[in-house]
Amino acid sequence: MEPILRLDDLCKAFGGIVVSDHVNLTIDAGEVLGLIGPNGAGKTSLFNLISGVVAPDSGNIFLQGRDIARLALHNRARAGVARTWQHMRLFRTMTVLENLLMGPRDYPGESLLGSVLGLARVARAEAEARDRAMSILDRMGLAQAADAIVVDLPFGQQKLIGLARSLMNDGRLLLLDEPMAGVEGSNYETMQRVVHDEAMAGRAVCVVEHNVSFIKDLCTTAVFMAQGKILQRGTVDELTKSKILTELYFGVAEAH
Amino acid sequence: MEFIAGTVVMIGIFVILASSYNLIIGYGGLNTVAHPIFFALGAYTAALLGAHAGLPPILGVIAGIAVAVIAAVVLAVTTLRISGDYLLIASLGFQLGLLQLVNNFEFTGGPSGVSDIPLTLAGPNRGLIYVAITLASAVVVVWAIWRTMNSPFGRVVRAMRDDELACAALGRSLISIKILIFSMGCGAAGLAGGIYAYYFQYISPEQFQVAQSAQILTMVVLGGIGTTLGPIVGALVLVALPQAINFLHLPSSMVGPVQGIIFTSLVISFLFLRPGGLVGKTGSGAAH
Repeated sequence: MEPILRLDDLCKAFGGIVVSDHVNLTIDAGEVLGLIGPNGAGKTSLFNLISGVVAPDSGNIFLQGRDIARLALHNRARAGVARTWQHMRLFRTMTVLENLLMGPRDYPGESLLGSVLGLARVARAEAEARDRAMSILDRMGLAQAADAIVVDLPFGQQKLIGLARSLMNDGRLLLLDEPMAGVEGSNYETMQRVVHDEAMAGRAVCVVEHNVSFIKDLCTTAVFMAQGKILQRGTVDELTKSKILTELYFGVAEAH
Repeated sequence: MEFIAGTVVMIGIFVILASSYNLIIGYGGLNTVAHPIFFALGAYTAALLGAHAGLPPILGVIAGIAVAVIAAVVLAVTTLRISGDYLLIASLGFQLGLLQLVNNFEFTGGPSGVSDIPLTLAGPNRGLIYVAITLASAVVVVWAIWRTMNSPFGRVVRAMRDDELACAALGRSLISIKILIFSMGCGAAGLAGGIYAYYFQYISPEQFQVAQSAQILTMVVLGGIGTTLGPIVGALVLVALPQAINFLHLPSSMVGPVQGIIFTSLVISFLFLRPGGLVGKTGSGAAH
């Protein structure tokens, strides 16, 4: 069966700094794959390559069998790549609901005339998007915050809203950039539950996290990256037990 | 009476200019200083077609809007892939370059401008009729902008201003959005120009200098950037206030400096005391 995402020999360098060094990777439907590695390993850069923030120097990115490597940023999202950001990048002057309404692939406000004249087609799509947004917020226990300005909410809830906004894209690939950083308590459990449910519903999920215990809680499998290369793939336990990878990740104490 | 009518017409014209500039810079976050040249394109097109081709005023004004929109699309397509300071510089070049052409072409009247614009709506009620036309046009422009910004399309415009990268990564095509709001705002400036030309029957490059951007921007900031009512209040205050100062019967050499001191004090005071403007919100959700 064709994986949801397949990276073939993906390369990218910024001058002398190689952020993706012949990367080959697949993610299947229902899989939650963790990307771990030290700072500068190329994890977020890989997300930027897949989502179209930067173009690859060479190689291919297949989403459900379609090569999206040459598509512009906005067309990658329309093709079905949904992502969150390390620093959330929420629309700070807008409400929670408005943030989510920006997410659907077939956004109703793309046409100025249809949108301003309030054509039935646009109104129907808008109503469907609202229902979907409220349903996602409800799953996260955030329905009562729908009309709040997003930056007025606590940090953990903002992280959840970042995830909720990405879920408005009904594509099959979900990229989560440090979703758990700074998230605690019930928000942590909600994040874990929603990511698990999305995978069960058939999405392929890829998670970048620094904290290995977060990866253990979230992911079924993981890959270890360093210097733009994928060094090993396996279960989280297998990777954390690997002495070489542990040394690369945490460094080695100097002998005195 | 004619003095009051002239003042109200100017208020209406600046409501159109400030509201449309607010659409581009306040809602869209596109930093441009070229708004006066689109005002000029509307005015010159209407004036020249009226003076030399004998076109009826309404067609002249429509042609002025069309020329402003076409010029806006040309500028947008060539420069809106860039943003921030670079867009500001590109728009400055467009404003200065095009005004230089207007200043030097023979058919535009050069520095002397166009003074043979036909008298329209002649009669004792001319002023009142122009007041009605201008205010009606201002209402239509403000309503169109309000309707746009409160539609799903307007939501994209606000999202783009907040975070371009996140907006594009959600699947929104920013170039087409930028072109649409830029040409819409510039078309409104063209409408203001057409009305201005037919009412005052005289236009010259002097009236469309780049400094006018600062004047319009002051109206937007003073009233409340990124709000519907803000540019209206700003235009009202900044057009009416200089006229009110005239009633103080100051020596003519004093009027300019006094106006300058009052405006500068107002802007500085608002920056510190009420950065959201007269009608803008304060706090986290405030327009910025």
